[in-house]
Amino acid sequence: MSDLCGNPAAEAGEALIPRKRKFDRSKICVKCKTNPGNLVIRHSVYCRDCFTSLITAKFRQALEPHINHASTGPRRGALNPSGGLLVAFSGGSGSSVLLDLVHRTYCTNVGSDELKGGREHPRKDRVWKRIHVCYVETSDVFPETSDRTARMREAVARYEGCEFIPLRVQDAFDRSWWERVSGDLSVLPVDLCRGEPVPIDALKAHLRALPTATAVLYTLSTLTRLLLLYTAYSIGASHLVLGTSLTSLSISLISSISQGGGFVVPQAIQEEWIPPFIKRIPGATSWSGEVRLIRPLRDVGMKECTAWVWWHQLWVVGKQRIPISEKTIGKITNDFIIGLERDYLSTVSTVVKTVGKLAPKGKPGLRCVLCELPTQQSAQGWKARTSIHAFEDAASPEDVPTPLLAFLCYPCHTTLTSKSSRSSKSRNLKSSSPTSEPSSTLNLPTWGAARLACGIGDEESTSSSANEIWVTKKLDTDLMKSLVGEFMLDER
Amino acid sequence: MAPKSCSLCQNAKPILRRPKTGQQICKHCFFTVFETEVHNTITEAKLFKPGDRVAIGASGGKDSTVLAYVMKTLNERYKYGLSLFLLSIDEGITGYRDDSLQTVKRNQQQYDMPLKILSYEELYGWTMDRVVSTVGKKSNCTFCGVFRRQALDRGAASLGVDHIVTGHNADDIAETVLMNIMRGDIARLGRCTAICTQGEDTIRRSKPFKYAYEKEIVMYAYFRKLDYFSTECIYSPDAYRGHARGFLKDLEATRPSAIIDIIHSGEAFEVKDEVRATQKTQQTCKRCGYMSSNNLCKACSLLEGLERGMAATAISDKGRRKLDGQAPTPENLRTIPYFHTPITVAIDVLPTPP
Repeated sequence: MSDLCGNPAAEAGEALIPRKRKFDRSKICVKCKTNPGNLVIRHSVYCRDCFTSLITAKFRQALEPHINHASTGPRRGALNPSGGLLVAFSGGSGSSVLLDLVHRTYCTNVGSDELKGGREHPRKDRVWKRIHVCYVETSDVFPETSDRTARMREAVARYEGCEFIPLRVQDAFDRSWWERVSGDLSVLPVDLCRGEPVPIDALKAHLRALPTATAVLYTLSTLTRLLLLYTAYSIGASHLVLGTSLTSLSISLISSISQGGGFVVPQAIQEEWIPPFIKRIPGATSWSGEVRLIRPLRDVGMKECTAWVWWHQLWVVGKQRIPISEKTIGKITNDFIIGLERDYLSTVSTVVKTVGKLAPKGKPGLRCVLCELPTQQSAQGWKARTSIHAFEDAASPEDVPTPLLAFLCYPCHTTLTSKSSRSSKSRNLKSSSPTSEPSSTLNLPTWGAARLACGIGDEESTSSSANEIWVTKKLDTDLMKSLVGEFMLDER
Repeated sequence: MAPKSCSLCQNAKPILRRPKTGQQICKHCFFTVFETEVHNTITEAKLFKPGDRVAIGASGGKDSTVLAYVMKTLNERYKYGLSLFLLSIDEGITGYRDDSLQTVKRNQQQYDMPLKILSYEELYGWTMDRVVSTVGKKSNCTFCGVFRRQALDRGAASLGVDHIVTGHNADDIAETVLMNIMRGDIARLGRCTAICTQGEDTIRRSKPFKYAYEKEIVMYAYFRKLDYFSTECIYSPDAYRGHARGFLKDLEATRPSAIIDIIHSGEAFEVKDEVRATQKTQQTCKRCGYMSSNNLCKACSLLEGLERGMAATAISDKGRRKLDGQAPTPENLRTIPYFHTPITVAIDVLPTPP
C-alpha cells in the first residue's frame, strides 16, 4: 500500500514541517502533575484547583504591585492603599470574574488563617476598607435596549461588603452630577436664557452630531471611563479596577491604534488620573486624590474568564448589545483578533506585551478637553499637512480651526471629524458651550465645559499652593461673546 | 446626489470622491492635492538637498511608476536640483518580472532618466525561480525580501547615488505597523514609520509616498494615463501579511482615515529606552561588509544555506547555529561581492535613448 495520503501538498513535498499539536502531550495537570487536567490553556493542561490558583496569582500579580501609592513590591502584608477601591461593573464575564476575585481575595479570605501571625498581624487587616461597585447604564441612549440597573444591583448584592453605585451615561451632561463629584472646586457656566438642558437630550444631541458609528461607540466608551474616574475621585477611591481581559485589552489596543491613539497606548493599559481642577504639588510624594486605573485581568484570556465563571458558578448578567448595525472599527477589530487567535494562539498576548514596551514619543501637551488624556503637540498641523482638506485661499468655514480643536487629542479630533466612506454628515465645532443649540453646535460633557469655562491650560501650568485651587484667567473675547451673545444688540 | 462644484476649488465639476478625505473634487484639484501632499512630505522631512543623486526603486508596478512621474514633476516644479535615476531589480521570476521590466524600460524613455537593472543572478548567482525550486513556496518571500533590500543598496552604490526612494505607500506602512505589533517585532516596529532610514554604511532610503493612499496612487496613474504593470507575484504571498492587509481594507472601508490614523499612531510612540537597550547593535557583515546585526548578514546566511543545500535551516537564528555546527563553511563557497559605500561616482547604466 502506498504511503501517500492523497494530500497534494504532502505529495508535492511542501508539508515537511509537522503541524504543531493543539493539545499538550500529557493529560495530567502541568502544575500539580497528579490530577487529570480539565482545561487546556495555550498547549498547557490545568486541573480545576491549579487553574483557580493560577488565575488568582495572575490577578494579584497584575494588581498588587500598584496598590501602594509608591511602588514597594507585591507583598500583601505591606499593602496600604491611599484610598478606597472602585470596581467597574458591566455585567459581562470579565467584570463578573473581577468582582468575584476582588471579593475572594480582599473580603472573604481576610483573617481566615487564624493561627498564623497573631491577631494584630497586618495580614488580618482588610486591604480595602471600602469597596464600591459602579455600573453605567446606557439604555436611555438606545430605546431598543432595556434598563438593567436592577439586575446589576442584584448581581452585586451577592457580594457582601460591596456598595453599589448606579450611574447613567447621560450623567456626563448633568450639572447636578458634576456638582456632586467636583464639589465646589469647579463650576459650570450658566445659561440664564435657555436654562439647563435635559442631560439625556444633551447627550443625544452630542451623539447625533458624530459622523460615524465608530465615533458613537468611542464617545460612549470615553464618557463611561470618565464617569467612573470622577466617581472614584468623589468617593475617595485611590484605585479603579476594570475587568478587561487579555483578549479584550488586545482588541482595544489595536482598535485604539487604528483610531490614531498611538500616543496614549500606555494609558490604555494603565492610567494615573487626577481631576484637572486639583493641583499636583511638584515633588509631593503623598496621595492628593489621584485615581489609578488598573486592569488586573490583563494576563487572563477570555477563555480563562469563561472557565472561571463556569467552575465558580458565577451569575453573569451579560453585556448589553449596543444596537448599532453599521460596522465599527471596534467590531471589525474584535472579529479580526478573535479569528487570528484561532490560527496564531499567542496573538493577544503578543499584542499586549508588544504595546507594553512602547512609550509616547515627545512631551505631552495639555489634556484633551473630551477624554482628559494627554494631547500630542502639533498633531493638528500634522493632519493638515498629510491630508489637505482645503486650499489656503478657499478654506470652507467648517474647516477653519476653532478654539475647541486646539484642545482635542488626535483620536477625539478624528472622532468628531472623520467621516465614513458613505457618510456626508459634516461637523461644526464652532461653539463649545454645553447650553448652546444642539442642532448647530457641539455639546460638551460637564468636565469639558467646566474646563473651557475656567480656561484650559491654567490647571496644568499655574503653580499654586495646595489650598488655592481657583485660578483667575482673563476670558478670551470669543468665549465672552458666546456667553453673553444673546444679550448683544445688532450694531448696525 | 453629486455636488455641483468641487469641494476644493468650488468651481469645476467634481469627478471623483477622494479616498483619503471623502471629498468630491475635480481632476485638477486631485492632481494638485496629491502632488502637494507628496511635496509636503519631502520638504517637512528635508529628504533632499540640491545636487543630490537620487535613485528611484522601479519595479514597473503602479507605485514606482507614479513615484517616478511625481518625482520628475516635483523636481522640475519646485527646483529640487536632483539628478534622478531609475534602479530596477530583476529577481528572475519568469512571467512576472519579464513584463514589468519592459514597463520600466518604457518609463526610462518617457521620463528621460538613466536606468540600471541589477539581477539576483548577477549578484547572488541564484534566480528566484531557482530558489523556489529549492526551498518551495513556503519561505521564498524571506529570500526575496532579504535579497532585494541588499540588491537595491548595491545597485544604488554602483550608480553612485546619495539616496534611494521607494514607492512604499501609506497602506504598506499602516499594514506593517499592525503586523509588527501582532508579531511582536519590536525592533521593526520602532523604525517602520520612519520616512528615511540610514545606517552608517548604507545609502539613505526614503518613502515619499508614506502618506499617499494606494487607491489614490492608482487613481493618479489612471487620470495621468501612466503605464504600469499590475500582476501579483506568482509565488505565494506572505499569509500573515495577507491577514493584516484584509483587516486594513476592512478598516478603510469603515473609516477611510484609518490608514493615516494608524501611521499617526506608529509615529506617536517609540520603543521604551530600557527595551531598546536590550536590542542588538548594528555591525557589518564579516563576509560581505553589508550592515548586519550578527556576524553574518541575512543575505550571506541565506545564500550559504542555498549553496550548501540546507536553505531551510538558514532562515532562523536557531537554524543558523545548526548550520554552523554541521561543518565549517567550505572555502570555495559562492559569496556576495564586498559592499562598498558609494564614495566614487561609478555609472554603468543603460543610456537614455535620444
